Amino acid sequence: MSTATHSHGEGHGAHYPRLYINRLGFWLFLFSESMLFAGLLASRFYLRGLSRPEELSQSLGLGITVILLVSSLTAYLSETAISHGDRPAFLRYTLYTMVLGAIFLGGVAFEWTAAFQHFPPSSPFGTVFFAMTGMHAFHVLSGIFLLGLVYYNGRRGAYGPEDAWPPEAVVKYWHFVDVVWVFFYAALYLVA
Amino acid sequence: MNRDGVIVAILWVVMTAIGEWIALTARFMPMVGAEEAAVIDEAFTLLLVLAVPVATLVLAFFFYSILRFRAKDGEETQEGPPVRGNNALAILWVLGSLILAVYIVFNPGLKGIRELEASKGQEELVIQIEGVQWHWNVSYPDYDLSYERALQIALPVDTRVRFDITSQDVLHSVWVPAFRMKMDAVPGRVTTLYVTPTEVGDFSVDPNLRVQCAELCGTGHPLMRMDVRVLEPEEFQEWIQEAKEMVMGSGMEGMDMSGQEMSGEMSGDMSGEKSGESSSDSQ
Amino acid sequence: MKPVFKGILWAVLGAILGIALLVVIRLAFGLPAWKAGPAVAMGYLFGLSGWLLGVGVWDYWALGWLGRPNKQYTTTGWRRYFDFDTDHKVIGIQYGVLLVILFLIAGLLAMVVRYELMRPGRDLLNSAEYNNMMSLHGTTMVFVAVATIMGAFGNYLVPIMIGADDMAYPRLNALSFWFVPPVGFLLLGAALAGGYDTGWTGYTPLATVTRMGAMFYNLAFLTIGFSSILGSINIITTVITMRAPGLTWGRLPIFVWSILGTAALSMLFTQFVGLAMLMTVLDRVAGFSFFDPSRGGNPILYQHVFWFYSHPAVYVMILPAFGIALEIISHFARKPLFAYKWAVAGMLGVVVMSAIVWAHHMFTAGLEEKLAIPFMISTELISVPTGMVFLAALGTLWHGKLNLKTPMLFALAVIFNFLIGGITGVFLSDVPVDMHLQDTYFVVAHFHYTIVGGGIFGLFAGIYYWFPKMTGRMYNEKLGKLHFWWMFIGFNLTFLPMFWLGINGMNRRIADYMPQLGGLNMWVSMAAFFLGASFIVFVYNMVVSWVRGEQAAANPWGARTLEWLIPSPPPLHNFPTEPQVVDDPYGYGVPGSVHARLAAAPSPAPASD
Ligand code: HEA
Ligand code: HEA
Ligand code: CUA
Ligand SMILES: [Cu+2]
Repeated sequence: MSTATHSHGEGHGAHYPRLYINRLGFWLFLFSESMLFAGLLASRFYLRGLSRPEELSQSLGLGITVILLVSSLTAYLSETAISHGDRPAFLRYTLYTMVLGAIFLGGVAFEWTAAFQHFPPSSPFGTVFFAMTGMHAFHVLSGIFLLGLVYYNGRRGAYGPEDAWPPEAVVKYWHFVDVVWVFFYAALYLVA
Repeated sequence: MNRDGVIVAILWVVMTAIGEWIALTARFMPMVGAEEAAVIDEAFTLLLVLAVPVATLVLAFFFYSILRFRAKDGEETQEGPPVRGNNALAILWVLGSLILAVYIVFNPGLKGIRELEASKGQEELVIQIEGVQWHWNVSYPDYDLSYERALQIALPVDTRVRFDITSQDVLHSVWVPAFRMKMDAVPGRVTTLYVTPTEVGDFSVDPNLRVQCAELCGTGHPLMRMDVRVLEPEEFQEWIQEAKEMVMGSGMEGMDMSGQEMSGEMSGDMSGEKSGESSSDSQ
Repeated sequence: MKPVFKGILWAVLGAILGIALLVVIRLAFGLPAWKAGPAVAMGYLFGLSGWLLGVGVWDYWALGWLGRPNKQYTTTGWRRYFDFDTDHKVIGIQYGVLLVILFLIAGLLAMVVRYELMRPGRDLLNSAEYNNMMSLHGTTMVFVAVATIMGAFGNYLVPIMIGADDMAYPRLNALSFWFVPPVGFLLLGAALAGGYDTGWTGYTPLATVTRMGAMFYNLAFLTIGFSSILGSINIITTVITMRAPGLTWGRLPIFVWSILGTAALSMLFTQFVGLAMLMTVLDRVAGFSFFDPSRGGNPILYQHVFWFYSHPAVYVMILPAFGIALEIISHFARKPLFAYKWAVAGMLGVVVMSAIVWAHHMFTAGLEEKLAIPFMISTELISVPTGMVFLAALGTLWHGKLNLKTPMLFALAVIFNFLIGGITGVFLSDVPVDMHLQDTYFVVAHFHYTIVGGGIFGLFAGIYYWFPKMTGRMYNEKLGKLHFWWMFIGFNLTFLPMFWLGINGMNRRIADYMPQLGGLNMWVSMAAFFLGASFIVFVYNMVVSWVRGEQAAANPWGARTLEWLIPSPPPLHNFPTEPQVVDDPYGYGVPGSVHARLAAAPSPAPASD
């Protein structure tokens, strides 16, 4: 007690359960992040109006969007699994989610190689295209990293019905990133 | 209570009277060189007139309270009356400031904008100004005259002039203090500014008759100035002729400033600075 | 100290790694190995990550993620202030001291600026150097003004004032502080990389083509932005969830309300300045074309994105100062805060409205036609909620028993100065008048009256007010008053004439001006030196009093909020027992009224988990 550190760090004396506090802070974080994406979205329309180039591969865009949406489903299943204490299912679905996320990233990377030909970052549409997909891909990547952490710890016996916050948070983040993509997909592939 | 209130009220009236007297008689603005300047000065004065009673109201209460209600020695631990607020007063305050705020939207605000826009589309002369790090290029398309590194421009008096402003590189801004008008020069687009000069004169008469770059554009920013010469129409025609001859004859890019020197160190200051590192930066 | 050294070491390694990675990638793509822009960006990104990992993220988070026990630093004494310490009081002081030092440095830069402007023509600096000094002064000061009150007083006091033991996320709190030293490093680095001449606003396209120092500015703004987002989420969560029993929203000290409003602003808008900076960096190092019109970009976009944050940011600077001023005015007038609910409503109104006024900085920027009018209207309406704070201040003073101690003097000066700053803001919000005044010294005067006259005077009010609580020692009241009068007079003598300068044709950000303005500029410079000298009194007073000032009582002011119920300085866990809040903190004049009770017998210290 006499040392200068608070042991596990997190403060006490709260009048809400720790889980509530965590959830609140996390929602605020997501809210705050959504402003970043809103800013990108607004910039896209400010600069390019409703125009978009023909060269975008519609089928690829639709494909990776579907994949990402499916990954949201598997993420949801993994969260429910751990909250019911079903560790194998939790691990399985987490893994699926990561794989689907990786496929999505692969799709984006593939799209990029084509995009470099038709509208490089220095071109009017390329600027917003690469900035938006890049920012989003960065979030997917960090989501995969976090899922990996959760997976790693889950394999080593962490989490359970009473202690499901880290998986829950990661899955929420994953859903958030997916929802953002829905907007970005519409703004990049569907407008006009 | 009442006594305090009465004193503050008197104080307010007195301070307001003094303030309004200053607001209405003192001349804060420099030379009025254009119709637009008169509009803007009027707006400024009106805002001043309206600001005075607001400021004096706050200050009367403020200073009176500080002088009158300060705790004397030994009174430090005494406490004031437990007044927690007064909703009627608060509503009055909010309504008052709301009415004032809405009023100024209309009166100097929208009214002034309308007056400034009155000459829109009725220009009798167009002057194109292009900002470059760090000088201006000017052309008079009506007269087939254009020159670079300009050190002066001329305008005929009482003529509606439209400036078409743009930039080659970074942001600049065309500001003539005597006209009170300012507009940024934005690369990739043309912005416009309307002025109707009303006073004949030039930089040597009043230094506010100058184009001053008013948007930070790098090292040469303070020196991006041009003399503004407001001339009688005939003189203006002569000026155009002379200018044409100078531009064509000598091949000179710039034109002399008439009768005063603008800081001469410009070239020394800016040498080798242009655009910084970006050029060396791109592979 | 260990984490700091570790952080530095890891930062250097990270920077090397980042640059090496870049070189490898570039070679792989067949590009020349070296390019300065991307190298700075990558080096910084990896260096920053290294710094954060080294300073605490590795020990406090990563080890836990990897299934190993988190390390704990167990430093005591002054070394705590150089550690990754999670105690909100330590973090508050870390913020405070670091930012006051930055403030003094930036103030000295202002002295250089004023020295140059004493006479027309250029004597000390050439134009490029002047622009560097001016930009560094503005940027550093803005960082100070945005971060100090929330970072220092917000961290130190909010948990105590709501009766909590710490913030909701102490580790995150420490992390948000450790983002700040890299900002100082970047500002220094900018100077070494040739400086930058874009002002604190960093407008493109200038910012993309000018010296490399401008990118340091971009990165610095990004970094401090991260820090304030994390900090604000923490504060909001703390205030919502960790208030002591009985501390209802209607009883919350006004200072806590102001910090809450500030945090909401930071949380919602800081993204945008990050975005603006990011887009600039992308334009510069990766060949994007957000702002290059020759390739389809638009420089005006930068201004929209930048001001969408930076206008709310000016309220980030002023709201906490209002909070401090009202808090102090109530306790030193020994009267309840007048029209408390209206003051809170005013602050929240400002939070909401500040989202819709940003383009008043762009009236002359070639804004889209007709867009100026709605922004003029919203800007003029924002005076109304701001004015409610004045109502609260004046109503509280009326018939009070004013103790004109140093904190109170500073608090009163906030009201006086901001009145001038605010009203001149209304002048600028009028589109026709702004046609003339935009980018002149009128604006410079306006914002020094608001930021310095409001924000910085509020900061000093807070420093004097809470100095006894934070250090356990009293400052010297005589010197405090001397500092106040000296600073107050110097401030007004310096900045009042600037209004006139601006009106009469002096534009900002120039090393050289029209000769006929020479006399007044000389006056302003002299006054500025006078003003600057007042801070020597301040520094002397603080240092000497901290080292050997008189011991401070728990409650030297007879104030009522929770921090004054516990000893000075507060013990490690703030409260021996959980406080019970029974009424609002402003019950002056009501016999027997109290804000909160601490149970008499401290129960055994609660296990800290
Ligand atoms: C703490 C910082 C702060 C604060 C609080 C404010 C507050 C305000 N500011 Fe200021 N401003 C800056 C900091 C600040 N500003 C900075 C840094 C810049 C320059 C940026 C740059 O370019 O570098 C700037 C620039 C700036 C501009 C752009 C100028 C230009 O470049 O052309 C404008 C224009 O509208 C403006 C307006 C206002 C208004 C209307 C308020 C209002 O919020 C003020 C409201 C307060 C009052 C009006 C007084 C009290 C009210 C009453 C007593 C009630 C009754 C009054 C009425 C109804 C009128 N400010
Ligand atoms: C918090 C904000 C803040 C503060 C406190 C100040 C403080 C001061 N500012 Fe600044 N200023 C800005 C924010 C601020 N400024 C901004 C945002 C800009 C715009 C930049 C831009 O255009 O981009 C600006 C621009 C600006 C200009 C215009 C430059 C230009 O446009 O060309 C000027 C000119 O006079 C100026 C002057 C001053 C002065 C004299 C002070 C004085 O108050 C300073 C007082 C002096 C000190 C604080 C130093 C004292 C220290 C000592 C004496 C040392 C003692 C220390 C020890 C013993 C260790 N400032
Ligand atoms: Cu051109 Cu400033
Ligand atoms: Cu603003």
